[in-house]
Amino acid sequence: MTPPKDFTAAVGSDMRASQRRVLFVTRRTSPQVKVYDEERVQTFSEVLIRALLAVECLLIGLVLMSLFFNAPLEGIANPTNTPNPAKAPWYFLGLQEMLHYFPPVVAGVLIPGLLIIALIVIPYFDINIEAEGFFLKNRQQRLMLSMIVAGSLSIFLWFFDVYVALAPTVIIAALMLLAAFSSPQSPGRLRRYLALRPIFWWIMTWFLFELIVLTAVGTFFRGPGWSWVWPWRS
Amino acid sequence: MPTMTTTTETHLVREGSELDRREFFTKLGLGSLGVATAGTLAFYYQYLSPNVLFEPSPIVNAGALDRYPLGSVTLDVNSAIYLVHLAEGYFSLSAICTHLGCMTAWKPELNMIACPCHGSRFSEEGQKLAGPAPRPLPWLKTWMSDDGELMVDRSVTIPQFQFLRV
Amino acid sequence: MPGTIETYFDKLERTRVWRSIFRSGKGTSTLHNALAIQQNVFLHLFPTKVRKRMLGLGATWYLGTLTLGTFIVLVVTGILLMLYYHPSVPRAYSDVKDLQFAVSSGLFLRNLHRWSAHAMVFLAFAHMFRVFYRGAYRAPREFNWVVGVFLLLVTLLLSYTGYLLPWDQLAYWAITVGTNISSAVPLIGDKIRFLLLGGHLVNANALLRFYVLHCVILPLTAVVFLAVHFWRIRKDGGLYVRESEPGAASHEQQSSNEEQKTR
Repeated sequence: MTPPKDFTAAVGSDMRASQRRVLFVTRRTSPQVKVYDEERVQTFSEVLIRALLAVECLLIGLVLMSLFFNAPLEGIANPTNTPNPAKAPWYFLGLQEMLHYFPPVVAGVLIPGLLIIALIVIPYFDINIEAEGFFLKNRQQRLMLSMIVAGSLSIFLWFFDVYVALAPTVIIAALMLLAAFSSPQSPGRLRRYLALRPIFWWIMTWFLFELIVLTAVGTFFRGPGWSWVWPWRS
Repeated sequence: MPTMTTTTETHLVREGSELDRREFFTKLGLGSLGVATAGTLAFYYQYLSPNVLFEPSPIVNAGALDRYPLGSVTLDVNSAIYLVHLAEGYFSLSAICTHLGCMTAWKPELNMIACPCHGSRFSEEGQKLAGPAPRPLPWLKTWMSDDGELMVDRSVTIPQFQFLRV
Repeated sequence: MPGTIETYFDKLERTRVWRSIFRSGKGTSTLHNALAIQQNVFLHLFPTKVRKRMLGLGATWYLGTLTLGTFIVLVVTGILLMLYYHPSVPRAYSDVKDLQFAVSSGLFLRNLHRWSAHAMVFLAFAHMFRVFYRGAYRAPREFNWVVGVFLLLVTLLLSYTGYLLPWDQLAYWAITVGTNISSAVPLIGDKIRFLLLGGHLVNANALLRFYVLHCVILPLTAVVFLAVHFWRIRKDGGLYVRESEPGAASHEQQSSNEEQKTR
């Protein structure tokens, strides 16, 4: 009599399509193995051709833009004359807008430094992994917490007259309030959508919203002496 | 089975001094590597800080006193300083905004100094009136030369309200 | 005569020289196509196969691919621009003026470089937000997200150092303001600014340092990080797919259908 084997082995059979899989199931357990094969395509040449096509489309756009619009070039650098207003490149205008309100240590060092650290640690925090709607569990507690955070942030921004950053914060807080009183069964697509958003979605969306608003304000709404101007009135 | 345990034990005992020696050499190696790294960093730092700079002299000759009538604020754009003559006497201010180094300008119609970059405003004595600038405009060392001309040292700041009385 | 060109290619691909360079051999079988990726030092960074539903425009919007595309455009146009540019004061400005008005196609190349730079910054940001909202930063892709954040920073630094090179008013004051921010760092701020500019003022030294950063140090850093970034996509299991997406469900149905057929 042969002793009972303490494992069973199985071999995947679609060898033409993908690599061979050898599966060992030990100790006579009966695990549920859900196997489905995704349809895959070869990188060479199908994916590469698609990537090339995408880049070509972009290149056509860039070439057309370069033919019709000239890159800006002002007078030679003159240390004795500061242009008014002196603006950084567009992707730093959000930062420059912050520099208008806060001292350089805060707006130029602390805020960007913390932002970079926050971006780096995103995947290492469990808060970013939980993908359930934020207000579906412990609704009252979580609503109170988020309103306290949003409220103190708003008061802080209001105190420093940063109305430009205050507006997106208030809008996001209002949307959170709406989400808290919605459920996946709510009428209206927006409410159903918001009810299912997890916490990291709210934080990132607030950040993205702030980024867009601050950059847009710095680009279009700031004139001489960093005063507020309406772009359509110039 | 018992024999096996004894052999491993003696083996471990013999390895003890071996491990100590190994650890010592590892520490020695890592330590010297650390010293070498620190030396390299110091080398880089020294190399990257230039010793000789071709930058304009900090001492400026601002010319005769009568160029600055009473109550006037004059900007010398080339040296980035204001020469101010008030009832209390003469003094000079740096024209570089203390916020982020933009060149400010005197606005006679507003009676204040304004920065074009982030909207800071200063009084004619350099006091901050508005905007994000963290400090007032610094007062610069000002004296009169033997020829009766105003001299300013841009590298030396003095306490505020030290007027040059003539 | 369409046949002739094909036969020429055929002959070329059979020559000893060709076969010594491309070892995957002739043919379009799965093996040949896999070898074409695997045996190429550049392409082997990529997986040999990609999930089909990741090819649709909606899955990635091709943002990463397009960012790489702008980077390649920037390298090519940048090298060409370097041939007419002296990083010295005030020569730099007149060189850029010459590029605009005296050099054949100089204006076009400078425009292309400038607009591609803006596009690259925008696409890198868009790529980051897209990856975030799809949740593609989750394990085992955490480290690749971090590499991506570094690449975003390198992109911003590349763009910022390039901003000074034309030596016009825009450049000068943007760099003056920007480097003064670095002097706001507590304790060592002024030292950082001094090292960055090679002096106390934005001057010829600063221009040369920014030039070296822009043309040598930062592009090399970017290339190294890019290689890691692509290689990690392969090592972390290919482009991220969400199991809850309709694509996965339909595949499950397909496989169960196949099972039924075999029964």
